[in-house]
Amino acid sequence: MSNDLIDKLSRAKKQQYDTARADIVTRINTSGKMTARQRVDALLDADSAVEYGSIAAQTEEGEWIAEAGGVDFVGTIGSHPVITSSTDYTDHGGGYGAGRLGRLFALAYEHRWPLVLFVDGGGSRAQHPRAGLGHVELSGPIGRFSFLDGLPELSGWVPSVAIVSGPSFAGHASLAGFSDFLISTPGSAIGMGGPPMVEAALGQRMSPNELAGAEMHEHGGGIDLLVDDEIAAIGAAKRFLDFYHHRKTNSIPPAEVDLDTLSDDYDMHDVISGLVDANSFFELRPNYARNLITGFARIEGVTIGLLANQPRVRDGAIDHAAAIKISRFVEMCNTYEYPMVSLIDTPGCETSWQDKDDVRVLPGLTRWHTRVLLAHQQRTVPLMSVQLHRAGGLAGALMTGVSSTRGVPLIKLGWPNVDIGMRDGFAAVVDHDAFDDIIAPGETRERITRLIKLLDTSKPAPTNKKHRIDSW
Amino acid sequence: MTPRGRFDLLDGLAELNGWAPSIAIVSGECNEGHSAIAMLADFTVATDGSSISAHGGPSIPVKDYAKSGDLDLIVADEAQAIQATRRYLELYLHPVITEFEIAQDALQIADLIPENRRRPYDMRGVMNALVDKDSALELAPAWGRSMLTALARIAGRAVGIYANQPKSPLAGAIDAAAADKAARFVELCDAYELPIVSLIDNPGYMVGPKAEREGIARHHARPLAALHHRSVPLYAVQIRKAYGLGPYAMSGWGSAQRMPDLRLAWPSVESGGMSLEGAAYLVKRKEIHAAKNSADAMAIRDAYAEKMRDANSGLRAGRSYQFDDVIAPNETRPRLIAMLQRLPLRDMHPTAADGGVKKHTIDLR
Repeated sequence: MSNDLIDKLSRAKKQQYDTARADIVTRINTSGKMTARQRVDALLDADSAVEYGSIAAQTEEGEWIAEAGGVDFVGTIGSHPVITSSTDYTDHGGGYGAGRLGRLFALAYEHRWPLVLFVDGGGSRAQHPRAGLGHVELSGPIGRFSFLDGLPELSGWVPSVAIVSGPSFAGHASLAGFSDFLISTPGSAIGMGGPPMVEAALGQRMSPNELAGAEMHEHGGGIDLLVDDEIAAIGAAKRFLDFYHHRKTNSIPPAEVDLDTLSDDYDMHDVISGLVDANSFFELRPNYARNLITGFARIEGVTIGLLANQPRVRDGAIDHAAAIKISRFVEMCNTYEYPMVSLIDTPGCETSWQDKDDVRVLPGLTRWHTRVLLAHQQRTVPLMSVQLHRAGGLAGALMTGVSSTRGVPLIKLGWPNVDIGMRDGFAAVVDHDAFDDIIAPGETRERITRLIKLLDTSKPAPTNKKHRIDSW
Repeated sequence: MTPRGRFDLLDGLAELNGWAPSIAIVSGECNEGHSAIAMLADFTVATDGSSISAHGGPSIPVKDYAKSGDLDLIVADEAQAIQATRRYLELYLHPVITEFEIAQDALQIADLIPENRRRPYDMRGVMNALVDKDSALELAPAWGRSMLTALARIAGRAVGIYANQPKSPLAGAIDAAAADKAARFVELCDAYELPIVSLIDNPGYMVGPKAEREGIARHHARPLAALHHRSVPLYAVQIRKAYGLGPYAMSGWGSAQRMPDLRLAWPSVESGGMSLEGAAYLVKRKEIHAAKNSADAMAIRDAYAEKMRDANSGLRAGRSYQFDDVIAPNETRPRLIAMLQRLPLRDMHPTAADGGVKKHTIDLR
């Protein structure tokens, strides 16, 4: 082959690296952000990245330009393969070929490799209706997926993580909304229609963050985690995947919490600290429906999904937001094959109704609540429950599934002051069959640990997809 | 309490979801465990004036539950509730019947679409003209009103129809409730083996601060995921607006794996990444802001939109193969019948003993 050709290729490729656009890189970095490539470097193990679609882009006039709108890689995190794609809002609004995403989805599907997507960008542009996300658009999907059906197929098959650290609208927000685990940073935005579209449709002029800010989504349930910056977001993505890739690590004793002497107005977070390996609890949607806690943790080094009422907020009642949080979390643990631990102390289910200008909160059930029973019904991962005190109405069933011949909890434990209505806890064990045992709080970790040791946690995920994880 | 046989009450209903239809009728005061049954059924009908409560708390009128999508239908009395139940079940039990009549305005269906492309119309009329006379049973009419969902028959064949409602406060735009309603309906049709007909006319997903607060960036994915996981056929009829991700939500348009089985369009179709007026506004934004008054500004916008409309017209859209065919409205019913008649008439609901398996649950919300 002629050296000319190889030189030409090398020159073209050089155009796409950050070194070819030092001024833009400086601008991005001084604003406290990272370039598309810097983010990938921070995510993947050193020297593990294999770039896909690495040839630089061409303008319509045939001039080679830096393709920074999006870069795609297969690499490793802690030597486990992942696929990552990173957009760059400074270049063409982060828009790039949707066909390339289809290619990545196909790879993820075939090899069951998790996805980490950095998706800030503005979707397609007004001048090119239906032209997809980019200025160098490919016609049609490459491989078996288009940009829209890849993520629904991957849902429940491989974990997908999205990081939004800037404005993300339309197609980009769609990718974020489909992801299992959505991380964002303060000042970012995630919305179906960006400020120009809102101005055109509704005549309202708003900044991206005013319109669909990450801070708003943090309380509304639209994202799973808000962190300080991109480095923290990358750290959270790695931590999320670490639970998935490393099902069993070294056991670390829990924090020093004396569960036997908890006060009446205890914080459920203290109970969790006293049960799980020290510093292992990783909370999801922490500021959405704070009356219910969901997160991953380790007990004896084993990855578990943890579900708990928080009596400190709304008395621990399960309102519709809490129910939404449970359903999605149970679906996630079931497809990721994480055993679950459920800590129960709730007065019951609660609904809110708009009454003229007021919102009335009343005890009651909606379909959001009963939907939780469906999520448990299809759960096949084991669940261990500990009832600390109350489990009013149907709320207990929402925390464990309906206990019957199908989907029986692996063990149902109660603490001595458990309240099952008219009887005391001891009576419940004797003649109500409500608990497998009543134990002193301090014994809880030991009981759960012994059972976890019986489970084969090294077991690979099943060959067939169980179900998808609902985006809501 | 030990369940007799295989199931307890609530896990029985949860297990039956997606396997056999379950119908709850609420007439009177429904509380405690009864409300759990009402909230677990696939199809919940209530008589006007009934209410639901729990834990001895105050009762909530069923009309509030209907507005929030927590029950499907409110009727005047028990006789009507039983009638609605029978109609619902007949569509499941008898997917094909041989006696049917065409609707009165079936042949004049084109007249239901106003000539002025900006005037809304009632999609219920279009749906009723397309299906067999008086066959449509609308589900959850009080909830997510920009989205219509109904079970009906076309030439005797039971189908599910979902459609945008231009004559609604959101002009057919898909907000979180409409997205949830569509997703649930697609799952229902798929579980019951009902082919789906989609009538599309929407400006896309709803935008703006309220829609974002409701989490449309998350909810929008639900109908797309439900469509991707379906195996029943879907026939899409594009009536007017096909903007943004709107047609994707209504048909799986643009997917590589679960394309609609037929993509028809009427000549009134207009398509684009966003509404023509919206796109024109963005392209001409500087000129519009510089305009002397709002009339001038709108004139600039509309002139450019008109120019783009020509480029996106129905006939051109047909040529570019965005649709399988562009047809006159009154050809729609015969086309759908031709497709439906080609579907195999296998046993649609095999029992467990006959090797039937549940496809998936029908999400309650």
